[in-house]
Amino acid sequence: MSQIRNFITFILSRPGAAFGLALLLLQVVAIVFAPLLATHAPTEADPLASLQPPSGAHWLGTDVSGMDIYSRIIYATRVNLLISIVAVAVAFVIGVPVGLVVGYYRGWASTFVMRVFDFIQSFPVFVLGMALVSVMGQEIWNVAIVLAVLFVPIFARLIRAEALSLRDRPFIAAARCSGATDGQIMFRHILPNALTPAIVQISISIGMAILLTAGLSFIGAGVRMPLPEWGLMVSVGSQQMILGVWWVALFPGLAIVFSVLSFALMADALRDYVDPRRERA
Amino acid sequence: MTFSTTWRRLPRTLRIVLTRLPMVVPQMLGVIFVTFMLVRLLPGDPALLMLGNMATPESIANLREQLGLDGSPWQQFVHYLGGVLQGDLGVSLFTSNPVAVDLMERAPATLELIFYAMILTILIAVAIAVLAVVRPGGIADYISRFYGMAAGAIPDFWVGLLLIFFLFSTLGIAAAPFGRIDPMIAAPPTVTGFYTFDAVIAGDFAALRSAAGRLLLPVLTLTIVNAGALMKMTKTTFAEIWRADFIRHQRASGLSQSRIVRNALRNSLPPIITLIGFLVGFLLGAAVLVETIFSWGGLGQYAVQAVTYSDYPALQGFVLVAAVFILVVYLIVDILYELADPRIQV
Repeated sequence: MSQIRNFITFILSRPGAAFGLALLLLQVVAIVFAPLLATHAPTEADPLASLQPPSGAHWLGTDVSGMDIYSRIIYATRVNLLISIVAVAVAFVIGVPVGLVVGYYRGWASTFVMRVFDFIQSFPVFVLGMALVSVMGQEIWNVAIVLAVLFVPIFARLIRAEALSLRDRPFIAAARCSGATDGQIMFRHILPNALTPAIVQISISIGMAILLTAGLSFIGAGVRMPLPEWGLMVSVGSQQMILGVWWVALFPGLAIVFSVLSFALMADALRDYVDPRRERA
Repeated sequence: MTFSTTWRRLPRTLRIVLTRLPMVVPQMLGVIFVTFMLVRLLPGDPALLMLGNMATPESIANLREQLGLDGSPWQQFVHYLGGVLQGDLGVSLFTSNPVAVDLMERAPATLELIFYAMILTILIAVAIAVLAVVRPGGIADYISRFYGMAAGAIPDFWVGLLLIFFLFSTLGIAAAPFGRIDPMIAAPPTVTGFYTFDAVIAGDFAALRSAAGRLLLPVLTLTIVNAGALMKMTKTTFAEIWRADFIRHQRASGLSQSRIVRNALRNSLPPIITLIGFLVGFLLGAAVLVETIFSWGGLGQYAVQAVTYSDYPALQGFVLVAAVFILVVYLIVDILYELADPRIQV
């Protein structure tokens, strides 16, 4: 508990991190209270109110089918963060044990798994994601699954690097001498000491996942209309941008920027908190 | 004369290339396997999915044969591999052209875009990073901190749209975001496929102006989004070198500042080369989005079209070409890395 209090004091003492935390809380509020905050139903089309500029009735204007942009941005927070958090959670839950095992046991099988990960990571992320989602079908869960697959190697690699440096430490030898099994050594002794970089990576990956989801939806390889999703909303506004209708694409894009920024700032704060030497350097 | 003495007599560059090349073969096979599996991920019969519900049994049987879907999975893979090795990537369902021909036609547009975006990104990233390290607390230092944080959070497609809105729609300075050259101006005769180069070769300055104008916004978009990451990592690398003993020694010996910066940059070159390799991968992914916005007509737009029309042979071909392109870039980067770092023994 005091760890958490320390961390919050640490964040509040730094303007960048405090800003990130405020943005993060804002998103939590948007997710929890979406029905209260929204002024219109997020998927309610109104052909008579097409492309209205921001006004008292439509705070951030309407898109081409007359949907209220402000309400859609609020509801889209649920969609975007749900996809990203599920994707990163799955990648973490699979990547961490795999990385641990591959780092603990040396041998051809470990080498082979790492080669496969190297290989997955050598593909351009966006290109592979686009191809996989369009083959599996443009569904919200498929986007999450594909992002999870793309992120597994990142977590596995981080944990493996830590496990490799920990496995020959004296305290592991001590645990082995006192009769601990391989499983106990890996999960009880190595894992708690190896988790820090992966935890920082969670925050970074959620930001990456938000950008990738938005990009995929933008080109039509993500979620489909009328689901509110930030990238899809920018794509809806992209045809009108050239005609000077700026509000349709501008606001959802800002939502993406602030959302990704909040997770990046939190990752930075976490990293500096667990490793104060970095900050001074 | 034994093998090892012959080997050592070869020039260092050749030795580096010869040790690196064989490693590409299993990677290439892996890429071909992944693109082969891609279409097998389709739920149901790919031939039926591609042709739609109106397809006749004969046309489905034809397409199944053309895609090599009959026979065991192993036979199917061998069929596909054999095709790929002969440059046969199947036929696009949307354009009805061989996918390989479609991709070849469109590749120069994408490469030209990536080429200029790379140059601008490297110039801006390295300049800001060096200035920020050499003068801590100066303007460049502040810009680098703010920009490094913000750049990773900006979606490229959104930046492209904002640039179109401000520079084309509102201020009217930039060229129209429709394609690589003004439709009223004939494209220069193809030599390299890069309109800017071809226009210079043909001495056609109207075409050069138009092509350069059209390049401005998409290149700017890619640069704004990608220079941040490169700048941040260059800054970290360069700052480390800048604190090294040999730099302090050079300063004590009275070398000029510009000379010291040049020496420090030379020593931070290997990690920067690796980063630039990754950058090409990012740029290729970003090009898919940016090309769509600017109707660029390159590989990226072709891929998006393939997604829109469920044109799986085209999509498969694009993924294959993109992955092979990246492998070749990584190969070149590895070779350059070893060349740039004389400490590496071959």
